[in-house]
Amino acid sequence: MKFKGVTLNARTAVYLCLAVAFLIPLGMDPDGYLLRIVSMVVLFAAMAQAWNIVGGLANQLSLGHAAFFGLGAYTSTLLFIRQGISPWAGMLAGGVVAAVAMLLLSIPLFRLRGHYFALATLAFAEVLKIIAIHFADLTEGPTGITIPYGEPSFANFQFESNTSYYVVIVALFAVVSLIFWKLSTGAMGFRLRAIRENEQAAEVSGIDTYRIKLGTSMVSAFTMGMCGTVYAQFTYFFDPESIFSMTGISVRVALICIIGGMGRLWGPLIGACILIPLDEIAVNTMSDVAGLGPFVTSVILIAAIIYEPRGLISAWERLRRRAQKKHAAQSGQAAGAV
Amino acid sequence: MLAFIQSLLDGILLGGIYGVISIGLSLVFGVLGIVNFAQAQFMMLGMYAAWFAWDSLGLDPILGVPLTGAVIFIIGYAIEKLLLQPVLKAPPVAQIFLTVGLMILLENAVLLIFGSSFKSVVVSYQQSGLKIFGLFISVPYLFAFSAAVIVCIALWLFLSKTWFGRAIRATAQDENAAVLCGVNVKQVYALTFAVGVALTAIGGAVILPYMTVSPTVGGQFAILMFTVVVLGGLGNVAGALVGGLVVGVIQSLSAMVLPVQLQNLILFMVFIGILAFKPEGLLKEA
Repeated sequence: MKFKGVTLNARTAVYLCLAVAFLIPLGMDPDGYLLRIVSMVVLFAAMAQAWNIVGGLANQLSLGHAAFFGLGAYTSTLLFIRQGISPWAGMLAGGVVAAVAMLLLSIPLFRLRGHYFALATLAFAEVLKIIAIHFADLTEGPTGITIPYGEPSFANFQFESNTSYYVVIVALFAVVSLIFWKLSTGAMGFRLRAIRENEQAAEVSGIDTYRIKLGTSMVSAFTMGMCGTVYAQFTYFFDPESIFSMTGISVRVALICIIGGMGRLWGPLIGACILIPLDEIAVNTMSDVAGLGPFVTSVILIAAIIYEPRGLISAWERLRRRAQKKHAAQSGQAAGAV
Repeated sequence: MLAFIQSLLDGILLGGIYGVISIGLSLVFGVLGIVNFAQAQFMMLGMYAAWFAWDSLGLDPILGVPLTGAVIFIIGYAIEKLLLQPVLKAPPVAQIFLTVGLMILLENAVLLIFGSSFKSVVVSYQQSGLKIFGLFISVPYLFAFSAAVIVCIALWLFLSKTWFGRAIRATAQDENAAVLCGVNVKQVYALTFAVGVALTAIGGAVILPYMTVSPTVGGQFAILMFTVVVLGGLGNVAGALVGGLVVGVIQSLSAMVLPVQLQNLILFMVFIGILAFKPEGLLKEA
């Protein structure tokens, strides 16, 4: 289709629709419930994209990304409350702390087989939870931290309108996605794909698999730390149990990727659009029955793993290919008849 | 000095239990090649099964071990056949997240059925203790430890003396060779998983006289179990027992100088340290 000299193919049309979809919430009621949910969806998409960098691209399955999320939240918040440092600087500091933690954790692990990484990251998040609860002088302890609501200003990362938070969250998602896209294309993309398909073959082809895995995992931790800061500023409150939660954060971000499509650029957004509203409905309708929400989540996870472990994007592509084949076969028959 | 020996003794009594609950994890990894992240939740299931038997039948948790073991064996067998079998040949991501899903599923299923309140049993020997050479031995700890030792001997006899035990070990060593010798490996996988989770459940049942149970109790033991199996070498059954004793002693000794809440921190440092310097575990042979 030609439109004022601009060629419009299906792909650009999809991206245009997507851009418009991101603009719609700007018109929503700033104090409304809907905008809050949409913001949460995009924030979790950003978190899942951070996980996707190490889990989807480097195939290192982290079960403790809540650790880096929490490190980001605690670093920026404590710097802001105790030292008055702007959360924007705190966000970068949090990212650095998270990346360094990942480096220390990864050095002994990346020479071992993959499940050690899963075990260690899971344990790491649990241990950070213990530290945050126990060392109250440093972290305010088990009651958590409430960020004091001061004068709304850009420097304080505090805004009058929730719409501003939405814009920040979308920007965060865009940044993390851009990093993901940069890493998944070009020479780096080929290297990572080689490591994912066959690590030993990649190693003998001259790829420094150890350093590449280390680098991607640190980038992933850094971006997850940034998400932690944004989450803290957005919710104004967090505590060790929720911020270092395994089911609430670590498993959830991985599940979002698995449902959408691991290692795929749009996987996290698709997964978050499905899972977060579903969780929200579960919380609102079944909150009186303790445990039903996570129970449903786990059933979805198990079903997804058994029936479609490559995610919805792959399922969609397979369906489309099948339809195209059918179409080709039909037109072939028609041609034959003529 | 007496305090030190006392602490050592307590550690060994604890460590025997840690060994039993961790052997299952190591056995499942050694044969099926998957890390069962839901293993600690089977311990929780064992505790609930034992509590339920006590509550409804008045059965002592330690005497009820055969019943608890049988119930969890059947549950484990069914779970392996229905959920794990489809992913045994799948990439690690599917295996890891399937067992993670199972972990959340079991925890919340129990929460839905029994509620979040803590449950405990009342038995006659709960508060009693023995005094020998100035050392104090708590009777429930001693009973639990003895039960653990008996279960370990039974497992050893099963693995070394029975045809099925040999089939399990053969499958762990070389799956293809086992198939050629006429071993039904699918059956072996299901039975190994069932035995593995039943062992862990029994470990949970025998500590019920001195431990309360809630749906999240498994989570408290997860890091402990990882540390035990990594110490012993992942997949090494005898190693898990040794690892359990070591972890019990470490925990008991560290409690002399550090608050109880920080014990998991110590374990985690041991865990990372072992992975960094001796990833094959303390006992090297498979």
